[in-house]
Amino acid sequence: MSVAGLPLHPFFTPRDLPETLDLLAGRAARGEKTVLLAGGTDWFVERHVAPPETAGTLPLVVDVSRLDGLGGISLDGHTLDGDEPGGDTLHADTLRIGGAVTYLELRRDARVAARCPLLAAMARDVGALQIQARGTLAGNLASGSPAADGVSALAALDATLLLRSVRGARRVPLAGFYTGYRKSVLAPDELIEAVEIALPPAGAPYVWRKVGTRQAQAISKVALAGVAVVEDGRCTRLGLGMASVAPTVAFLPATRALGLSRPLAGIAPGEIEATVLADVSPIDDIRSTAAYRRHVAVALVTGFCEELKRR
Amino acid sequence: MSVTLTVNGSLLTLEAPPASRLLDVLRERLGLTGTKEGCGEGECGACTILLDGVPVNSCLVALGQCAGREVTTVEGLGDAQHLTPLQEAMVTEGGAQCGICTPGMLLSAEALLREKPAPTDGEIREAIAGNVCRCTGYQRIVNAITEGARRREVRP
Ligand SMILES: Cc1cc2nc3c(=O)[nH]c(=O)nc-3n(C[C@H](O)[C@H](O)[C@H](O)COP(=O)(O)OP(=O)(O)OC[C@H]3O[C@@H](n4cnc5c(N)ncnc54)[C@H](O)[C@@H]3O)c2cc1C
Ligand code: FES
Ligand code: FES
Repeated sequence: MSVAGLPLHPFFTPRDLPETLDLLAGRAARGEKTVLLAGGTDWFVERHVAPPETAGTLPLVVDVSRLDGLGGISLDGHTLDGDEPGGDTLHADTLRIGGAVTYLELRRDARVAARCPLLAAMARDVGALQIQARGTLAGNLASGSPAADGVSALAALDATLLLRSVRGARRVPLAGFYTGYRKSVLAPDELIEAVEIALPPAGAPYVWRKVGTRQAQAISKVALAGVAVVEDGRCTRLGLGMASVAPTVAFLPATRALGLSRPLAGIAPGEIEATVLADVSPIDDIRSTAAYRRHVAVALVTGFCEELKRR
Repeated sequence: MSVTLTVNGSLLTLEAPPASRLLDVLRERLGLTGTKEGCGEGECGACTILLDGVPVNSCLVALGQCAGREVTTVEGLGDAQHLTPLQEAMVTEGGAQCGICTPGMLLSAEALLREKPAPTDGEIREAIAGNVCRCTGYQRIVNAITEGARRREVRP
């Protein structure tokens, strides 16, 4: 078989979430490594690039792609199935998305389209259909790439992660999840059960712009996710998430603070440029240059602010 | 360890390591070599199969993840004597040259046509965006899928 050693990985399909958590806890206590396998669109690529050498130290692969407790999309704790009448007119304003929900499920969900179009737009732009059919939000979050599209959208939406282990559940705001390049506060015995989003009102302006070499399969040179609530010419909520401009997905805190500080008409383009440049720290790599990324970062945020001013 | 799944309509129980790539099991255990390996990294789509009717890259799926599910490969469409209208159109419209991308293209197109019997050019291009072709320049493939859709209406 062409990927050396892959078949040697021990593999297990747990019955349910409690069994998965027990397994994780036992293995973590013994210092044994476990891979939670969801869509495999990151993990198999890693294995291909760097195949394992010896069977002795291989982690246990645990299939969570169909684990019940990690599936499903619901609004305000009220489970939505496809064509339930009035589902989106309820006073339901927390969207909960199971960790193993795929991009394809996101882009096909009518409530996501109506109440969180930013997520639907993001999901449509990930990889191509084959990747969207398998890739999950939890996988995107756990891999922690600074280029992650899902993480960027969730950053703009100020999502909260629901992490669970045998020790219980805890909620971690996405802004506090990463501690560095591909490093997070996720403990070895924990998994990402779901993400929760306090939704802006229906119709709130948003932006999703992915700048890359082509539409399908391209990892972004820069991507901007943004969502805002504008009342009387002033932002009362502003969320921004930017991919590929820092060691982790960037939240652009200074730019957010500026946008919320006073009426939009009083904010000059030069101020936006200065805060964006303070918020990002891009590098040169195979996909682009730091200079181009700075230029695009400023242009994307400025464009979104202009659009908000016209509201 | 054994894994039970349906491949092209046949229920099979395979003694194989469940962490194996579905792609390797199809080609090397089942002899279904219509499914190709291009990149092994999810980029090219040559290994596209349908998993419960949805196109996925078989280089990124573990055999164990397919337990109880239905896999369709190009061998599950038509055979040389009985091509499906879509396969036929791929031949007559010049949608296949070297042929390496063709099985994957056919499965992406098959999934599209099951959902949208009369797709627009844009829908076709989106459906095959994850299938790379180095020969045709894509237009002939788009034409073939359009023509396949038309012929399916006559003879599904
Ligand atoms: C061709 C191609 C194109 C791509 N295009 C894009 C793109 O446009 N944008 C983008 O952002 N990404 C892209 N990716 C990357 C990838 O598809 C995404 O990051 C995807 O979301 C990963 O999810 P997964 O379920 O496949 O993860 P997996 O590969 O299954 O897992 C990835 C990591 O997450 C961990 N994990 C999985 N589930 C959990 C859980 N519930 N709790 C804790 N840890 C967990 C795993 O243990 C593993 O370490 C692309 C990948 C490929 C191959
Ligand atoms: S071989 Fe699977 S996508 Fe290229
Ligand atoms: S026909 Fe040769 S790659 Fe498509």
